[in-house]
Amino acid sequence: MPTVNDPAVLAEIAALHDAYEQALAANDVATLTRFFWDSPEVTRYGVVEHLYGAEEINAYRRTNDVVITDRKLLRRKIVTFDANCAVVMCEISQSARGKPGHCRQSQTWVRFPETGWRIVAAHVSLALAAPENVWTAYADRTAAALALPLAPNHRPGVIQNLERAAVIAAPLLAHPLPAGIEPAPVFTA
Amino acid sequence: MSLDPAATTALEIADAVRSRRTTARQVTETLLARIDHTHSRLNAFTTVTTDRALAEADAVDAAIAAGRNPGPLAGAPYAVKNLFDLAGVVTTAGSKINRDDPPATRDATAVARLRAAGAVCLGALNMGEYAYDFTNENSHDGAVLNPRDPTRSAGGSSGGSGAAVGAGLVSFALGTDTNGSIRVPSSFCGIWGLKPTYGRLSRAGSFPFVDSLDHIGPFARSVGDLALAYDAMQGPDPFDHACAQWAVEETVPHVETGLGKLRVAVLGGYFAEGGDPVVHAAVDRIAAALGVTRRIELPVPQLARAAAYLITATESGQFHLERLRTRAADFDPPIRDRLLAGALTPSAWYLRAQKFRAWWRDEVRAVFRDVDVLLAPATPLAAPVLGQHTFVFNGKEVPLRASIGLFTQPISCIGLPVVAAPVHGVGPLPVGVQLIGAPWSEASLLRVARVLEKSGVCTAPVADLAS
Repeated sequence: MPTVNDPAVLAEIAALHDAYEQALAANDVATLTRFFWDSPEVTRYGVVEHLYGAEEINAYRRTNDVVITDRKLLRRKIVTFDANCAVVMCEISQSARGKPGHCRQSQTWVRFPETGWRIVAAHVSLALAAPENVWTAYADRTAAALALPLAPNHRPGVIQNLERAAVIAAPLLAHPLPAGIEPAPVFTA
Repeated sequence: MSLDPAATTALEIADAVRSRRTTARQVTETLLARIDHTHSRLNAFTTVTTDRALAEADAVDAAIAAGRNPGPLAGAPYAVKNLFDLAGVVTTAGSKINRDDPPATRDATAVARLRAAGAVCLGALNMGEYAYDFTNENSHDGAVLNPRDPTRSAGGSSGGSGAAVGAGLVSFALGTDTNGSIRVPSSFCGIWGLKPTYGRLSRAGSFPFVDSLDHIGPFARSVGDLALAYDAMQGPDPFDHACAQWAVEETVPHVETGLGKLRVAVLGGYFAEGGDPVVHAAVDRIAAALGVTRRIELPVPQLARAAAYLITATESGQFHLERLRTRAADFDPPIRDRLLAGALTPSAWYLRAQKFRAWWRDEVRAVFRDVDVLLAPATPLAAPVLGQHTFVFNGKEVPLRASIGLFTQPISCIGLPVVAAPVHGVGPLPVGVQLIGAPWSEASLLRVARVLEKSGVCTAPVADLAS
């Protein structure tokens, strides 16, 4: 069983990851390149690119012209195994080409006796926006169709009530009724 | 005058007035003073119709002096939820918006019939806005304070009606019940209530809420008064399209006839689960008093509640659409949000709910072939504290206002008649039990109620306002 999260190793990886983030902010290609394992076995997936081996990663770095601004680390989780291996997982908010987004970055770090800690695999992905609540869209559009203004301070309560009604309606809609049952709006008890 | 109108039934007052032991005017003046000096404790009345009340009382006294029959409710003091039209008074229906309406030009049908029976109307009562409410925390008129405990809700939406009767401001009161608005205040205020069969009493001249589900009915502190007021209001009315062409069937002559061969059972399943154990203990106490051990379950009652919920939301939202377009900011906030959401309800849900209702009515009719009266709690808890938002039901925290009607909604969904019977002493606060019957069986329910009243299991004493 390896030693998980030795405080000294955690601190070491945190410092390295901070330095990596600084290099990224400065678009310091030489430093970024040095953080990666110089091997054909290294892998890096970007949001759109799939890079196999150090040569492809380096070529990408030289030609990459995506401008990243407002990069903020929202959450970072580091797990270390003995003093040889570490995983860094982050959530980041940033703007790429001026478009704001929510990203995930994962890195696997391994310590080599000759060169020290290097990233051996990395993956960046863009979190899809949570799907729009169906009742939010429904309320907005149906209200507009009925010429019923929904004031911004009234809207959340309306959506909450529609969501509650949907939960209440679901088992009723699922309950089978015999054919030929007619609605009884003017009802005789 | 030895008679204290605050603690006297309409029946006794009418008897005393007719036999000239007191006058309608004396009763009226005593209660007008009581309404005035207890107002800050209860906030039950929104309009006190002093001139009208004194004129009606004088008319009763004049009839007696002239040897004419003043009617069965001679001098009996009552008041109405402020959605009933009273000639000369603006029918606010608990709202700010309707305050801009002109005063009503004539009385509601129910009010006109009570007047004809000799009753004296003392005013209009506080209610939850547009009746879409179970706690009567009205932001325009203020909350109604429970006569049994001023920190607690009197229930809604007919909260002023429940409080006025419980506090002895009137002998009886009128309210309306769409999903429980008579049975809930009856339960929380510890008094009797009658929600008759759908279509039994005319709603003409009452401000609507949900046409498919609206009922009117009386509150009282005695079964005899409930029957007397109900009988006085019966009869067809061309001004309410839902009012049945059904002849008057007086209940007063039947009230004292005892249980006879009536078959009574406790509703199990959905109606026996969840909520405060006190409400189920109240059902058990009534069942024990009647010697009832039989239990019956209705099929999928939770879906009848769902149907009532959706019909309510859809019809009320549609009814208020123009007011929502132009005056959304003037509604009570929680009621506005429910009405706005209701206005957007998909028609597929609404029609499914209406079809389900037709099917469920037939299923429950079949149940009544083998039983006459079903017992179930009126509310899942006793009166909640004002400002309370949730309570625990079946181990889960649920929203209070949306859940108070869990046991009443399935029943009114198919228009069954119900007497809400008050049970005091199972817990620190009273709770109500529903005596539920087949359509048009009000007389049977009142007979059972009277048995419970006579045996002392169900009573509705005037609240001690000092406590």
